[in-house]
Amino acid sequence: MFNISLVVLGKFIALVSRILNLGNGSTWPGHVAVSINKNFIKNVLKLNPQLKIILIAGTNGKTTTGKLIQTILEKANYRVFQNESGANLLNGITSSMLLHSNILSTINYDYAIFEVDENTLPLALKEFMPDYLIVLNLFRDQLDRYGEVNTIADKWKQTLKSLPESTTLILNSDDPQVAYLGAQSNPPGRWNRSDTLVFYFGLNDKKFTQTKYQHAVDSTYCPNCSSKLRYHSIYYSHLGDWDCRKCDNKRPKNIFSYPPPSPLTGIYNKYNILAAVLVTKKIGVSDEIIYNSIKTFTPAFGRQEILSVDDKKVQIFLSKNPTSFNESLRTISSLKAKNVLLVLNDRIPDGRDVSWIWDVDFDDYVNDFENIIISGDRCYDLGLRIKYACKFSIFIRQPTDQFPMKNSNFNFQIEEDLKNAIGLSLKRLPKSEVLYILPTYSAMLEVRKILTGKRIL
Amino acid sequence: MPILQLTDGMILIRIMNYELTIGWLYPELMSTYGDRGNIIVLQKRCQWRGISVEIKRLDLGFKISDLKKCNLLFMGGAQDRQQQMVAEDLLRKRDDLKKMIENQTPGLYICGAYQFLGKYYKEANGKIINGSGILNLYTENPGENFKRLIGNIIVKLNLNLSQIVVSAPIPYRNYIYDVVGFENHGGKTYLGKGIKPLGKVIKGFGNNGVDKTEGAIYKNSFGSYLHGPILPKNPHFADYLITLALKKKYPPRGKAGKNTIELPRLDDLLEWQAHKAIAKRLAVAI
Repeated sequence: MFNISLVVLGKFIALVSRILNLGNGSTWPGHVAVSINKNFIKNVLKLNPQLKIILIAGTNGKTTTGKLIQTILEKANYRVFQNESGANLLNGITSSMLLHSNILSTINYDYAIFEVDENTLPLALKEFMPDYLIVLNLFRDQLDRYGEVNTIADKWKQTLKSLPESTTLILNSDDPQVAYLGAQSNPPGRWNRSDTLVFYFGLNDKKFTQTKYQHAVDSTYCPNCSSKLRYHSIYYSHLGDWDCRKCDNKRPKNIFSYPPPSPLTGIYNKYNILAAVLVTKKIGVSDEIIYNSIKTFTPAFGRQEILSVDDKKVQIFLSKNPTSFNESLRTISSLKAKNVLLVLNDRIPDGRDVSWIWDVDFDDYVNDFENIIISGDRCYDLGLRIKYACKFSIFIRQPTDQFPMKNSNFNFQIEEDLKNAIGLSLKRLPKSEVLYILPTYSAMLEVRKILTGKRIL
Repeated sequence: MPILQLTDGMILIRIMNYELTIGWLYPELMSTYGDRGNIIVLQKRCQWRGISVEIKRLDLGFKISDLKKCNLLFMGGAQDRQQQMVAEDLLRKRDDLKKMIENQTPGLYICGAYQFLGKYYKEANGKIINGSGILNLYTENPGENFKRLIGNIIVKLNLNLSQIVVSAPIPYRNYIYDVVGFENHGGKTYLGKGIKPLGKVIKGFGNNGVDKTEGAIYKNSFGSYLHGPILPKNPHFADYLITLALKKKYPPRGKAGKNTIELPRLDDLLEWQAHKAIAKRLAVAI
């Protein structure tokens, strides 16, 4: 009975915030519900045993993977809902359950897809046992919020010990710490899990190999014995075909590694596609439906989304930590990008410390661009980073207190006001070119709001 | 290669025929949060002045002979597991490092590196991890139940920078007395006798959130909790380190001996704009 009024209350809150355009109420309802009844999630799930839950965890790629899975499942005529992208703390999950249940707390859906961030995974697993748990990767992201990569991996391993045999694990074989989560074991104290319930995906194609290490590489030490890992191929960051020099820990043998063609670019997206294809195969969706869905997929907002603005093309690549920034730069460089707008914020979703921009390998890419405009709360920090990434050391500045700065390679300019920065970038953009925008998370929401006139979260 | 800078309307052409070797201690393990930015800044600021730079990467198992060739040292922070691996290696070479520090070799030690220069690090459960004992300070971590010291920070420098040419444009000249950065540490450091703090906290937590000190200075070695990283937005401090290294490597000849190494000014408008933006953020009027 109590839960009914919570559901009603939750829907009301969501409605109000939608009407008043205060974001789309994706976390308030959940926050309220959980503060009134802390067993809310457990109660609602008990009433809906038919609902299957797919949980996606990892630093980068959750939203894209979630959308891929939803697209495939819906094409196969399943009813699916997800928590709003970015709203991946417990409040967000609760809110999405609220929004999708009727007054009697019945959720008329077959699958729920929840994305959880690094810290929420253990908390989420206290509330429910997913039918499928996908772990995509583990990178440095917002150290000031999450603490260290090793600590998170250890926490996850502990948490996963409590998973029942009814949960299927889908793990990235190319990420040593993630692959280790599925380690079979004999020694006591470690975790034994049936072979039939852990599946791996990874890449196996020489043409994706990178030749040198990117700087911001995290797990290059063996999670089992702490010796340095050896790589036969590196695909991106610390992902690749790895093994340990000392102990017998190595990349799992049996991995699913055939990503079907899609409009998504970037090596990092191959992994997202592999994860989505693998889980939907396990669910039982036919190959034909899977491959068709991937072929015609349209990206989620802010992730390679292509927008048409005033007759000009704009593509947004979310760049929220060194790995995703490196991959965005690498991808747009392969698309011969010339006009780029970089936006760096330091709000709570972005991480307040922006030191990480010095771990991005700008030097490898910026010198090929022609026009760079920099905006955001921390535009001067990013401008400084770009200045130190310029190849040539000749700076010519007008002897006034203003920028722009020109060096022999490219123009770069700092514009504090985001609206002006976007206006300027579009003005300068030749009709035949694409404007590539690389924002951090909150900046991405702002950019989209300005470009489409609509607030998202 | 001649370097051309347009500063406040003047063209300045200077070639400095110097070379520096910068020793980067444990770049693979102790490079957690943008720390390599400090190396990039030191390197570029030298190169822009025609000073040629070699970066010596001193990883696990490095040779002491390589360490001794360095004119300027840098070491960053890391996660716990990595810090433990480094501690084992560095403790073996501790005497040589101590000798260099006592001998006035300039160095910058951030976060974990700073803590390691001290006598010990005490974890929340009471376990004591030995430091190198080179500096008279110690660190204690009260544990997860206590708030970490996190946030933007501005510190009044305990240094007299008038000895070096400071290239701040006129509207930013007042900021040369402080450094800005971002701190993020659970450990609280307490300085012993003989160690000056790097500066006094104007806004932020500093070494322990209580005594308003930040960092440490001992001879030409500087420890600090400032990320950011510290050098990009504090070009005066970067140039100070470079000058110290040059003065030590190229001592004055003859008897009168006034050391007149003067770095040519660079166009640091962007550095100071970024610096001021943080000061403004902390609502500090300078």
